[in-house]
Amino acid sequence: MKSPVSYILPLLLLMTMACRKDLPQLNDPQNYVNANFNEVFDGFWTGMNNNYVFWDIDTVNWDQVYRTYKPLFAKLNVNDSNDVRKAYTYFKQMTSGLVDSHYNISFADTWLKDSNSVNPAFQRKMHSPDFHPRISIFHFYDTIPRHYLDAGRRGFTNTPDKQYVAVSGTINQNILYLFFNGFSLKTLFNTDTINGVKLVEQYFFNALANRTDLKGIIIDVRGNGGGDLDDLNFLLGKMITQPLQFGYTRSKLGNGRLDYTPWAPAYVGPQPGSKAITIPIVMLADAWSISMAEMTTMAVKAMPNGHFVGERTWGANGPLTGNKFYNGGQFSTGWLNLVYTSSLMFKYKDGNIYEGVGFPPDMAVPYNPAALKAGRDLQLEAALSLIH
Amino acid sequence: MKKYLLLFATFLLLTLSVRAQFEIGVSGGYVNNYVHTNAGYRAFTQYRQYGGFVAGLVLQYRFNDWLAIQADPSYIRKSYELRRDHFFAGIYQYNLNGYLQLPIMAHCSFGGQKWRGFVNAGGYGAYWISGRIQGAMANVFSNSPDVPANQQTSDYYRYNEAYRYDEKYTFDSRRDRRMEWGLVAGGGVEYLLAERFRLFVEARYYYGLTDQQKNYMIDQVPRYNDSYVLQAGCLFNLRRLFHGDAQ
Repeated sequence: MKSPVSYILPLLLLMTMACRKDLPQLNDPQNYVNANFNEVFDGFWTGMNNNYVFWDIDTVNWDQVYRTYKPLFAKLNVNDSNDVRKAYTYFKQMTSGLVDSHYNISFADTWLKDSNSVNPAFQRKMHSPDFHPRISIFHFYDTIPRHYLDAGRRGFTNTPDKQYVAVSGTINQNILYLFFNGFSLKTLFNTDTINGVKLVEQYFFNALANRTDLKGIIIDVRGNGGGDLDDLNFLLGKMITQPLQFGYTRSKLGNGRLDYTPWAPAYVGPQPGSKAITIPIVMLADAWSISMAEMTTMAVKAMPNGHFVGERTWGANGPLTGNKFYNGGQFSTGWLNLVYTSSLMFKYKDGNIYEGVGFPPDMAVPYNPAALKAGRDLQLEAALSLIH
Repeated sequence: MKKYLLLFATFLLLTLSVRAQFEIGVSGGYVNNYVHTNAGYRAFTQYRQYGGFVAGLVLQYRFNDWLAIQADPSYIRKSYELRRDHFFAGIYQYNLNGYLQLPIMAHCSFGGQKWRGFVNAGGYGAYWISGRIQGAMANVFSNSPDVPANQQTSDYYRYNEAYRYDEKYTFDSRRDRRMEWGLVAGGGVEYLLAERFRLFVEARYYYGLTDQQKNYMIDQVPRYNDSYVLQAGCLFNLRRLFHGDAQ
């Protein structure tokens, strides 16, 4: 007869071993070798599984994507151009419903070098009934100065990545207007040499600092594709003397889809020498105002003297930076140049997340191509009507 | 085998009727909790153990001199820390998780009249009743002053200032599994004082068998609690406390 202990101990050991699940090995997406489509799929799917920051609100069933597409990719040959095209279609299908409106996949495969990147938000916009093209840059550079501005400056600066255009002036003598097509204001202002955008910025900031007769300010970010987050403080920080909270951000914390940091307050910080602007500040934004253009609009709207005229914005509100900084967001694999996706989620101060839906104006004025063709800007005129 | 079990049960019942004694007491101590998980390929990120405490009642039903059944309804903090290092040093989060726990154990003691050694072994159920998160993270909207061009940066807070937080944890019913089951084992010594009080110290190990998360995603990395406890307490013999030494 064996002692009861000799039965109990092995039983406990067995229970112990049987009841805990193994810890899966998670591999960095960029370490997957793109030698076959199994690896290509696993690298991408894992990267999204652990790094995408919108799983909390996204309606795409990522487990179902795994079950559906894993076997489909397994049938493809990475060295067959037809299969590569098929894989491109699968990538489009898998990501078509993602809420992140920054989301963009660019491909490293040479057979896809002439293909567009996969951009679900753009695809959705194109198929929406309200879709319209961007307002031409010449409207801002030529028509507005000619038809609306009394005096002012305009200029452009070419960088390796982009041409930056800016216009500033006054309307009806005492309404200060600023347009710019991308957020690189601080960088271009701090260059040693003079450039077209810097001259426009100097004009605007001088008027802001020195003129006492201004009745209102219009900041026009229509068609503005976004850019540097630093510009938020650089531009709006000159108009406030106290920190302005306008929302919250949070990032991933662990590998789980729902592992997040708490919400941290999103502030605009006052800049040295700033003054509290109490006259109306009107943001002009449209469906092509993206990312920083939207965040700037939200920040102005959070001011007691802030207004927003135009159209619902694009809906890409999450800030972006390198993956390692906030433990999530954009990543690469051997086969994908870059999966460009937000590093953090943004929530506006009203508690709503406008990712994928866009920030709504408080005075909606739709795009009007006929008026624009005739040299009239109904959205700008609506903004002017708010300033008395 | 069945025959031996039947004999054992009969023996227990007989001794119970003659000598069973109920003891009640309190205990408390220090908890060092490890979360059994991994950080995968998260850059410069690790999970670490974190201290806590346990406090509760001890209920013991003694069948005879050497065997008792014990239950310890208690509150226990099973916390852990997530910390980043190198350039990200200073970014961390303490997850302070409070559980109401009920271990039920067989208590076997051995030794003399006054000093006795004992071992406990059994299982437990625990309910995750509350949580608190404390930590510091970089705030992307809170830029640090620009670093002069000829200077290098020491850590990430030179780019974005720290946001420090200390807030109640909000449970997410899609992810958080609040009921935990597990095994427990421990050992210690006890001292019988004035025939009424039994003072004890004990080292105990709680081995969580339940993932803190529901199965909500493929390739989920489980998180299990491993809790090491050092505790002390006192048991009161109710019969002797209220009726003196008369049997």
